[in-house]
Amino acid sequence: MSTIYFLFQQMLLFSIPLLIVALGGMFSERSGVVNIALEGIMVMGAFCSIFFINRMQDIMSGNLLLILAILVAAASGMVFSLLHAYAAINMRADQTISGTALNMIAPAVAIYMARTLQANGVQQINFNNTFRIREVPLLSRIPVLGDLLFKNTYITTYLGLAILAVAAFMLYKTRFGLRLRACGEHPQAADSVGVNVYKIRYAGVMISGALAGLGGLVFVVPTSTNFNATVAGYGFLALAVLIFGQWKPLRILFAAFFFGLMKTIAASYSGLPLLKDMPIPSDIYKMVPYIATLIVLAFTSRKSQAPRASGVPYDKGSR
Amino acid sequence: MKKLLSVLLALALVLGMGAVALADDTFELALVTDIGTIDDKSFNQGAWEGLVQYAEENNISHKYYQPTEKTTDAYLDAIDQAVEGGAKIVVTPGFLFEEPIFMAQDMYPEVNFILIDGEPHSGDYSEYRTNENVAPILYAEQQAGYLAGYAAVKAGCTKLGFMGGMAVPAVIRYGYGFVQGAEDAAKEVGAAEVTLNYHYTGGFDATPEAQALAASWYNDGVEIIFGCGGAVGNSVMAAAEAAEGKYVIGVDVDQSIESETVVTSAMKGLKASVYQTIAAYYAGEFPGGATTVKDASNDGVALPMESNKLEGFTQEDYDALYAKLAAGEITIPDNTTADTADALGTEIVKVTVVD
Repeated sequence: MSTIYFLFQQMLLFSIPLLIVALGGMFSERSGVVNIALEGIMVMGAFCSIFFINRMQDIMSGNLLLILAILVAAASGMVFSLLHAYAAINMRADQTISGTALNMIAPAVAIYMARTLQANGVQQINFNNTFRIREVPLLSRIPVLGDLLFKNTYITTYLGLAILAVAAFMLYKTRFGLRLRACGEHPQAADSVGVNVYKIRYAGVMISGALAGLGGLVFVVPTSTNFNATVAGYGFLALAVLIFGQWKPLRILFAAFFFGLMKTIAASYSGLPLLKDMPIPSDIYKMVPYIATLIVLAFTSRKSQAPRASGVPYDKGSR
Repeated sequence: MKKLLSVLLALALVLGMGAVALADDTFELALVTDIGTIDDKSFNQGAWEGLVQYAEENNISHKYYQPTEKTTDAYLDAIDQAVEGGAKIVVTPGFLFEEPIFMAQDMYPEVNFILIDGEPHSGDYSEYRTNENVAPILYAEQQAGYLAGYAAVKAGCTKLGFMGGMAVPAVIRYGYGFVQGAEDAAKEVGAAEVTLNYHYTGGFDATPEAQALAASWYNDGVEIIFGCGGAVGNSVMAAAEAAEGKYVIGVDVDQSIESETVVTSAMKGLKASVYQTIAAYYAGEFPGGATTVKDASNDGVALPMESNKLEGFTQEDYDALYAKLAAGEITIPDNTTADTADALGTEIVKVTVVD
């Protein structure tokens, strides 16, 4: 049983950042802007917030610091994503190219800034992880659920789930969500009834920037003791999660958990009592997430529900 | 506004050049830093301390130069600057200097180079050549690993882990030494069985995969993991911090400042070896032309006993073991001994190689 708890707790460390970033990508794409810059935004968000933690950790620690860092990460991701928004919406640039540009510039900026701002001139930014919650009082005593969700955890786990709930509500139950979806499907139609497509798309990209930036922080904190200008391709993985999840919040949650679980098993099977004795080469475990992705995508691609206007710059004058 | 900016930039450029040209003081001992700066608590700092110690004892002018970026060209430029600055000896810490030094040894035959942790070779590894003016220094990593493995088992650990970066010779030597050290200590303390999980991550980065693997090992009962490969160690530390009462062994330098969980580190004696080699130069015995391997007999490897947190492994234990190692009484396998760690023929230590 303890193995299952461990597996689940470890899976959350992979899944929650994927979930948050993929939800970010969802907002952008459903407003009609392809955002492959998620990776770069994650790097920027992680850089700013980890640097913030690095500077502030002498005077404060624990979850107050983490909450402030979360705000920093979201704000910096949002600001950084404005570059993409401006290029994609105002300048009607090819969205793949402007996204790629952001992906390329982010690690370079992070390294340059880290080396310039830090007195010792190294690119790694160290931080002390004082944010882990060993167990949540009371809630951790709930049988099964307490072990799964309320031990050895981070507030970011709950934040991620809260973001999921809010995102689903916003997308389907609010006026803003309706307009957002309309702009992603048929912006001309939305415009004809007085919706400002540019504004909505800006909002979509900025939300995705905030969530991706936050995802960068959530990704780095539990898995290392420093930030080295990379998020190891998790931004791109989040894109796969987004597509796997068919641009729908609940399916994205499922996809993120699936990816996280497969990743966890692939990485840690040698420490899992049942799996380590099986005569399966490790390569198989490492392939599983990708093979599963290919299979599922092959079966769902025919009725893939990508937003129709996603990736198409909106031009008021065009018919 | 634009004009003003460009004028300012031009001015800065000219002044910057002037500053270089004006520096007509010469510096006999020079160090060109690897990535990171002189106080990086790692390779640069260790080598620089050795250089400074000799320079100050003997009142010799010294200076360090920082390359602008991590490329062979930038390293060569920095070496060029050092030579222009009148350097007789240029110390270059880190294997990234292998290629720059391969070129520099022909460009500046009158200057001597000390290359730490590497041997000069051409960019495509097709040619290895060490001229008379280059003294490459390698380390007996297997001895450092041995010390660490011995210390861990001596301190009472029976479930160990080794997580290396890429399976390059230096990392393999660390790992095999670690296994052998654990084996010898196990025989000494009479342990019935010691298990050792053995894995190469294939890179030198902190990845969630490495963290997950370390976490699963800790969860499975492993008490101490030797994080042997750059930032891989940071992933192991993150996993150890999340688990309770779990330990990490650092690598290359004393890593105890990076995490509370680091109880000891398998260190290379950078400071001592730089000092010794510079001293040899001034004694007219510069060991150029051939690679020197530093080991316990000349303080080439060490555990940082001042930051040791392994209870049950004392200074006396360490001194006794080190004396035996220095006297050559202990044979340790190196990377040529076996293809895999589980083929080392250990009796008490059960090695499980994880692909």
